[in-house]
Amino acid sequence: MVQVHNWQLGREMEYRYDAGKPKRQFAAVFNTNRCIACQTCTMACKSTWTFSPGQELMWWNNVETKPYGGYPKHWDVKILELQEKANPGGQVWNTAAKDAKKSPYGTFEGKTVFETADGSQNQVTGYIPAEEEWKAPNFGEDTATKTSTDGAQLPEHAGWFFYLQRICNHCSYPACLAACPRNAVYKREDDGIVLIDQERCRGYRKCVEACPYKKSMYRPSTRTSEKCIGCFPRVEGTDPLTEGIPMETRCMTACIGKIRLQGLVQVDDAGLWIEDPSNPLYYLVHIAKVALPLYPQFGTQPNVYYIPPRWVPRDYLRQMFGPGVDAAIEAYTNPSRETLAVLQLFRAAQSIVFSYKIEQGPKVQELTIAGQKRELYDDVIIGYDSQGREITRVSVEEKTIDRGAQFISLNTI
Amino acid sequence: MRFLSFSWRRPLALIAVVLAAGALLQFTDTNPAVSQALTLKAYEAPEDPGLDPASDVWKGNVSSVRVPLTAQAGIYAAGGGSIPTVRVQAVHYQERLYIRAEWADGTLDEATTRVEDFSDAVALEFPAKSASSVPSICMGQADAGVNIWHWRADSQAGLKDPVAIYAGAVSDEPESKDNLFYTAREAGNPFANPDLGAVQNLVSETFGALTIASVQDVTGEGKHDGENWAVVFVRDYAGAGADQANFAAGAKTDMALAVWNGSEDDRNGRKSLSQFVTLSISDSVIPGGGGGTNMTAAWFGIALVLGLAALGVGLGVVGLRETGNAR
Repeated sequence: MVQVHNWQLGREMEYRYDAGKPKRQFAAVFNTNRCIACQTCTMACKSTWTFSPGQELMWWNNVETKPYGGYPKHWDVKILELQEKANPGGQVWNTAAKDAKKSPYGTFEGKTVFETADGSQNQVTGYIPAEEEWKAPNFGEDTATKTSTDGAQLPEHAGWFFYLQRICNHCSYPACLAACPRNAVYKREDDGIVLIDQERCRGYRKCVEACPYKKSMYRPSTRTSEKCIGCFPRVEGTDPLTEGIPMETRCMTACIGKIRLQGLVQVDDAGLWIEDPSNPLYYLVHIAKVALPLYPQFGTQPNVYYIPPRWVPRDYLRQMFGPGVDAAIEAYTNPSRETLAVLQLFRAAQSIVFSYKIEQGPKVQELTIAGQKRELYDDVIIGYDSQGREITRVSVEEKTIDRGAQFISLNTI
Repeated sequence: MRFLSFSWRRPLALIAVVLAAGALLQFTDTNPAVSQALTLKAYEAPEDPGLDPASDVWKGNVSSVRVPLTAQAGIYAAGGGSIPTVRVQAVHYQERLYIRAEWADGTLDEATTRVEDFSDAVALEFPAKSASSVPSICMGQADAGVNIWHWRADSQAGLKDPVAIYAGAVSDEPESKDNLFYTAREAGNPFANPDLGAVQNLVSETFGALTIASVQDVTGEGKHDGENWAVVFVRDYAGAGADQANFAAGAKTDMALAVWNGSEDDRNGRKSLSQFVTLSISDSVIPGGGGGTNMTAAWFGIALVLGLAALGVGLGVVGLRETGNAR
C-alpha cells in the first residue's frame, strides 16, 4: 500500500501500487444536458469492438436513464449501499476548505472502495453482478420519477429523469487494477488508458467484482474479462484512419448530439493535472469547473467528467457528482464568454483538440436568462491538433444562410 | 545403594525409549528433520492404470493419505477453506507417475458461462527441477520455482459460446471461429483456447507470475459421482524443462494440493490448500493382495506402539516408586 493524493477527494488515500503516473491521461467531458439517448455511441462501440460470440451482454459504452436505469442493473445503488453499510453515516464531504489544485471540491471525509475493504479477502469493496443483471442494458429507459400535470420548471423539475452516458473511466487509481491478483490489468504510461492483458487474464473476475462502475466484463467464450480499451489505436494515432494524428474514440466521434469531447491532459508526478489553460478539458474541469467526476467518493479518481443536468434535484446530483454540482450548474447556466466558446468545440473535429485559441468577436445579443442580464458575443474558437495545426474553427453564433424565396417550394418537410 | 540403582536405571530407560522411537521413525519412513508429516508412497503398478479415476488399480492395495486443507492465508485474494480434506493416492507405471485425488463436493460446477459461475478444480504443486531450495508453497520463489498441474472441471467439460448454450441467443458472427474475434485467443492466451485439455501444466516463481508451461504434457481426467470428485493426473517422470517437476524411482519430492469449490466462488487464491507432503516413489511394486504388507506393517506398527506404551507405563511406575522412596 502506498499513499497517493486523490485531488477529487482533496486528500491522501491508500492505493495498492505506486505504479508511477502516466505522462498524459485520457479524459473526456460529457454534457448530460444535450444527450438524447439515441445510443449512436453505444452502437459505434458495439459494432467496432464487441460484436463477437461471448460478447452478447457486453456494452463497453452504454447510456442509461437515471434514476431508475443502470447497466448492470442498479450498479450504483448497490455500490452506494455497500459503502454506506461499511461506513454508516460517514460518507460525507467537508467543503469548508478548498485548494484550487489539490482539493477543488473540498475534502471527502468518508471511505473509498479501497478503504472499506478488509485488505485480506478483498482489496476493494464490490460485487459481481449476476448474468441476469447484464441482460437489460436499457432497463428503465425514459422513465421519469413522476408525471407532472403542471409541466416542468427550473431549477428543479418535479418529475425528472436524465441520461447518463457511461464508458470506462480509465481511472487514475483503477479498482480493477488493484484487485487483479495476476497483474493482468495495467495502466498505459503514454495515455493512462487502462487495459486487461488478454494474454495473462485467467478470468478470476476480481476486476469485475472490484470496478465500482462495473466496466470490466466477463466473456465466457474466452473465459477472460474484457473492458473498454479507450479506442487506443485512435488515441495514439496508429489506426490507419488517423493518419498518425491522435483521434477521439468511436463513441465520441459518433455522437450526433455533440455532447462529448475527449482528449489527453498532462499529469504531474503527484497525479495532479499540470496547468494547461489552453487545453479544453483542463479549462472545463479545472478553470470553469463546469464538469465533474462521476461518483468521486468511490476513490478511483475517474477521468470522465460530466456537465450535470440542470433540472435534476441537487441532492441526487451531489450524491452522483460530489459537492461541485451547484457551482457547475451555475457555470453552465450562465457561462462565461470563454466557457461558451469552449463548449463549441464539442464534436467540431475528429482529431483530438490539444489546445485552443479564442478570437474575440462582436456583441450580437443582449438577453435576460433566469432574471440575469446577459450579453452574447460571437467569439470564434480555433482548435489545434497534436502537431499544433488548426483542425477546427467555430463561432459561438451558429451561422445561418438564407436560401431565398426561390427554394421555398423545395421545403417539403 | 538406592541412589546408585536409581542413577543407572534412568539412563537405561532413556536409551530404550530413544532406540524405540528411532525404530518407529525408521519403520514409518519419517524424517524428523523435515517439517512435513505426511508421506505419499507411489509404488509400481502391475498394469497401466489409465486416466480413469474409477479404475480398479486405485481400489486395491494402493495406500492413500488424507491431506488436511485450510483456507489460503495470502497477502490478498484469500479465502476458501470449504474443502477440509483430500484423499490422495499415487502409483507409477513404466516411468509414468499417476496421482489420484478425491474429495467430497456435492455440487458439480463445470460451467463458467455466467459471470457468477466458477469451476471446481484441483491442482498439484511440485518444486521445479531447477529449484535450489524448498520453494515457497505460495507460488514458488525466484530460486525455487514450482510446477503446477491444474485440472479444471470447466476445461474438461469444454468451452462453449453462449449461442451454443442459450436457445434464444443470437450472435452477429455465429459462424466465425477465427481467433481474431476471440481477443484472448488471438493474444495467445492458452487458457482461452477451447481445445485446451482438462489439465494445464503451469509454472510460477512468485505470486502473480503463474504462466502456462511451454509444453503441455500432463493429462488427467475427473469424475463426479454426485458426492465426490475423483481426478487422476498422469505425466512421464521426466519433465519437459528445468522449470517443471522431475521424478525418479526411489526419489522423494515435495507435493502440495489445492482444491477449488466453484459453488463457493473459489478461484485464484480463494481455495482449500494443503502444506507440502512428501511424495516418495518406491522401486517396489504395490505390496500384494488382501491387505498384504500394508496390513502386516500396520499390525507391526500397532504392536510396536503398544509395546512402547507398555514400556512407558512400566517406567512411569518405576519412576513413581523411586520418587516415593526418595521422599
